[in-house]
Amino acid sequence: MAQTLAVETHGLTKRYSTGVLAVNNLDLRVRAGEVYGFLGPNGAGKTTTLRLLSGLLHPTSGTAIVAGAAPGTPASLARLGAMVETPAFYPYLSGRDNLRVVARYGSVPTSRIDPVLKLVDLTDRARYKFKTYSTGMKQRLGVAAALLKAPDLLILDEPTSGLDPQGTIEMRALIKELKQGGRTVLLSSHLLNEVELTCDRVGVIAKGKLVAEGTVDELRARSGGSALLIRATPLDQARRLVESLIKPEKVRVDGDALLLSIDPSQAATINRRLVSDGVDVSELRVSEQSLEDVFLELTETPQSPHPNPPPQAGEGNGRPAGGGK
Amino acid sequence: MIASFRAENLKTRKRWANWILIGILLAWILLLTYLTLFLVVTLSPKSIQGPVPASVLKRRLFPENFVPTVLGASASIGAAIMLIFGALSTASEFGWLTVQTILIQKPTRATVLGGKLLALAAATLLVSVLMFAAAAVASYAAVTLDGSSSAWPSGEVMLQAFGALLLQLAVWTAFGAFLGIAFRSAAAAIGGGLTYLFVGEALLGSLLRNTPVVKEVLKFLPGINGGAINGAFPVTIRDTAASTQLVSAGRGVVTLLVYLVVFTVFSLLIFQRRDVGGS
Repeated sequence: MAQTLAVETHGLTKRYSTGVLAVNNLDLRVRAGEVYGFLGPNGAGKTTTLRLLSGLLHPTSGTAIVAGAAPGTPASLARLGAMVETPAFYPYLSGRDNLRVVARYGSVPTSRIDPVLKLVDLTDRARYKFKTYSTGMKQRLGVAAALLKAPDLLILDEPTSGLDPQGTIEMRALIKELKQGGRTVLLSSHLLNEVELTCDRVGVIAKGKLVAEGTVDELRARSGGSALLIRATPLDQARRLVESLIKPEKVRVDGDALLLSIDPSQAATINRRLVSDGVDVSELRVSEQSLEDVFLELTETPQSPHPNPPPQAGEGNGRPAGGGK
Repeated sequence: MIASFRAENLKTRKRWANWILIGILLAWILLLTYLTLFLVVTLSPKSIQGPVPASVLKRRLFPENFVPTVLGASASIGAAIMLIFGALSTASEFGWLTVQTILIQKPTRATVLGGKLLALAAATLLVSVLMFAAAAVASYAAVTLDGSSSAWPSGEVMLQAFGALLLQLAVWTAFGAFLGIAFRSAAAAIGGGLTYLFVGEALLGSLLRNTPVVKEVLKFLPGINGGAINGAFPVTIRDTAASTQLVSAGRGVVTLLVYLVVFTVFSLLIFQRRDVGGS
């Protein structure tokens, strides 16, 4: 069944005047009502993409539809709340006055200010000047400003950046709460744990290209899902034997153990061969791949120049979105 | 546009730096233009005589010369203050990245800038009124303290003078706002603007005024054209430089109006097309 898309991009590309290719032929699809994690290392192109979606940057090529309209148009902005990069406000104004300014620009009734201040737990500090705020308070004011319009689509760029553990937990809870209201949240982060805990689906971006997309479980499965861990002595001999049984590229040394990207059902065969050749096997078990492993694999491998065609809306197959993986 | 204007008004009103700039401008008019000259002329020993008698010099401060005095202030300190005001208003948005916060609200970029320019226009109107009022009060105080009598200019002249003041201040504000958008840095915009004002136009204009090529260029500069407008108003004592205007007052008005439009259009073009954020 086709699902409504909150964000849809086709071949979105941004090359800065300095020549830097920040976003490269990006095809992104965020479904309405989901929390979508936009994951990538620093400098991967996450913030540039969010700026393109917010209309702050003009694309070099490609198209995008954000909340039903072209980015940066009043029709799109009316349904979009965003906090891109750092929360930027007037340092000489109080938190409340900053929200008043934002409300006036967005033609939002000022009666919305108190509820959003309460939602982000800033009511008590609303009369203090923004320049006196801590990083966490600035971050929360940014979220409050993004929520003023009661938007259908919320774009949050690294929302837990600079927050203490308590603040991080509260922010995650807030994001989950926002989702309950049927809102779409596009969340960028380089924190894997955060994405794993809050997002329905994840898109991984590296060097400006979408290299994978799907649920966290799908991404794990797409990268082999699980591996067979073998702790054996001597390790070199064990590795040679294993490489004679399976493709060498599926064998990886991880400390004093071997990690085999194979079907765990082959464990018995491999164990028999190792023992029969005099290798002591002290541990043999299935090792679940963490999102971190998947992330590293996706973002460290050199990518081919063009991504695969995007899936149809409704697909969630943990497909490789680029790099021909 | 009205929503953006209201938002800009709130920011402009609550920014202390703006009130400090206005305070400096009014203090300059009251203390340096009026009080200092009044005290020097009144208290200087009779043995020290300049080419112009003290009693005549003092009349520059009286209501009969109120218009040229306030317009003189607009051409120097007024221009500098409004240039800084305009530059701060736009460049700070880039410095604080608040331009990003604004542009992800509902209005288009043209509407955002339109609201800002309207708010700047309203502030310029307020500054013009305050300058006029301060100079009028100081003139009245000077003639009262001296025990002399002096006639105020006619209502028509006052109205024309107010228009001239407003036009000149608006041009310098728009120039500052344009520089702020072009440079995206308050320091660069203010530094560049003041250098142009005091070195480029004022200093070179006075040093090389009689060089034929420079003279032709000067005829197109905003300060020279503003000076031509100011020079058209009657004054008791006129200095030599001011009495030889390079252009007529009418051409001065047209040129300044063209500058106002050009700065506004160029600001809009840059603001519309430029990327916000990124490298």
